[in-house]
Amino acid sequence: MLDLISSTLTQGLIYALLSYGVYITYSVLDFPDLTVDSSFPLGAAVTTVLLIGGMNPWLTLVCATLAGAAAGLCTGLIHVRLGVRDLLAGIITMTALSSINLLIGGSNQTVDRGTDTIFTSAPVMGLFGGLTLSARKLIVSLVLAVVVKLILDAYFRTKSGLLLRAVGDNSTLVTTLAQNKGNMKILGVVMANALVALCGGVLAQEQRSYSAVMGIGQVVFGLATVIIGVTIVRFFTSSKPAQGMGKVPVLRVLATPQGTTAVLLGSILYKFCIQIAINLGLPANMLKFITAALFLLVLVLAGRKGEEIIHA
Amino acid sequence: MKKQSKKLLTAALALTLGLSLTACGTPAEGDGGGQTEGKPAIIGISQYGQHASLDNCREGFLQGLKEAGLEEGTDYTIDYQNAGFDDNMAIQIGQAFSAEDAAMMVGIATPSATACYAAAEDKDIPVIFTAITDPVGAKLDSGNITGTSDVLPVEGQLKLIRALQPEAKTVGIIYTTSEANSLYSVEVYKDLADQYGFTIDAIGVTAQSEVTQAVDTLINRKVDCLSNLTDNNVVGVLGSILEKTNDAGIPVYGSEIEQMKLGCVGGAGLDYVALGVQTGKMAARILKGEAACQDIPYEVIENYALYINSEVVTQLNLTLPDEVKAEAQDVVNA
Repeated sequence: MLDLISSTLTQGLIYALLSYGVYITYSVLDFPDLTVDSSFPLGAAVTTVLLIGGMNPWLTLVCATLAGAAAGLCTGLIHVRLGVRDLLAGIITMTALSSINLLIGGSNQTVDRGTDTIFTSAPVMGLFGGLTLSARKLIVSLVLAVVVKLILDAYFRTKSGLLLRAVGDNSTLVTTLAQNKGNMKILGVVMANALVALCGGVLAQEQRSYSAVMGIGQVVFGLATVIIGVTIVRFFTSSKPAQGMGKVPVLRVLATPQGTTAVLLGSILYKFCIQIAINLGLPANMLKFITAALFLLVLVLAGRKGEEIIHA
Repeated sequence: MKKQSKKLLTAALALTLGLSLTACGTPAEGDGGGQTEGKPAIIGISQYGQHASLDNCREGFLQGLKEAGLEEGTDYTIDYQNAGFDDNMAIQIGQAFSAEDAAMMVGIATPSATACYAAAEDKDIPVIFTAITDPVGAKLDSGNITGTSDVLPVEGQLKLIRALQPEAKTVGIIYTTSEANSLYSVEVYKDLADQYGFTIDAIGVTAQSEVTQAVDTLINRKVDCLSNLTDNNVVGVLGSILEKTNDAGIPVYGSEIEQMKLGCVGGAGLDYVALGVQTGKMAARILKGEAACQDIPYEVIENYALYINSEVVTQLNLTLPDEVKAEAQDVVNA
């Protein structure tokens, strides 16, 4: 049981990196970015190819992140400079990128067990070498998810971060402040896809594999985690005591400051829903149905309040 | 507020750390194929998706276990999961197997096998794969993993095409660029085509929606026939492919018995049930402790059977040579 919790938690924490990215575009910028479905495998392709080539596993993640940033830059430029609608700009980059992914990584790549990943790299082994691999995976992904979250939270409090949030809320305000909202949008999409590619890279190291189709449905996953996370957090911090547990100060604090916390929880919860569906032992073909039913249950139980702050 | 949030973070950190420590405090029971006392061994089967060939593999596997003398319920229990062609689902299925200390994981099709192998690393659980065309390319050929490979009988297929269409020059193939099995098979086709006097016209697609467009292109280029791989995307819309080719009077050769039943003229096909049975017997040897997983090399199934759909043969005005008639199994009367 603990094994299961720990490995599911690991998945949730790794995927939280992608959820942060989708949170930035969808929730903060109000930009429906479909680049994600391709920038995710892009990160994985870059990581596995470089890992197999013998590069330091941490450095491969830096490269993956940069590759994702470049993908985001394309979407941003196509939208802002060429004036293509946001949704279409994402679709164009996503489509083009799937060819690039095939060029970089082919249809799939596998990293053999002899190659070091971030989970077996020297610094991690030095600190946690005595633990099992799954424990190390949990710790490393926890550290990554938390560190990235803290960096994002800190960024949102800077001048640039506040401007970024303003673009999504009230872009006229940004213009009246004599700032270029287009540049802010590009920056947001770049950051988002950098995070998504980082997520793809970390997952590829955890799974020791990349596949060209691994990105299918990641946008949907990201959106679901944002919505679930925000709904749940809203529920527990509701001002009406009868409806939630607003009186519980710990939970209130958890929710009030940052949406990043909400999507982190959303990602973990999503993965737990899937794991529960697998473990219910129902007919195997019903897996997706059960997963959907669990999400519905979560959303209905927590009420619709969350939707209000999705666009906030 | 900020302080509290920090406190909370520390608490969460401590909790997760604690969890992971406890997780490693309980080591996996038994090594690899070990069974815990009294309880039957759990065999986790992760199937990539719902697909006739893959279903046949699974059924054959279960049959193979029984034929090897193992009894479900007393010797083993099956935990069967289907990933619905979703790589992320396959990952979590593998982890669920590892968490329940499965004695063995079975991955049907490459993505499921890869996910199982990744999940099995920590506890070194033996992994058996089946329905993988290129285990070497997928790096599943060494380590605590073995299985069976379903290399397409390309040579048999080309011979059959030559027998049915002595004048044919070009064989059209449609494949999905992201399916490793297909990429591999197309290369085999290209290598062997010369020997039988064919040229291969292969079109790669990225999604199922593009398959019918590729068919139109191939018909337009006047290929003499189409030959199917075990490409999930392409086989999935075989019905609409056949509609177009029947109109154009172009025969389509299949790669598995189910495709001939759907209306392919014929083909050299693998018997996926037999593939599964062979895999099941392999698994039984490991479960019984007769052999260690890492010591058994993976096996390639080379035996194939010829199948013919006599109705389609007549419909397309092809003549069936006697030797093919004698050897091939007619799916119409089967």
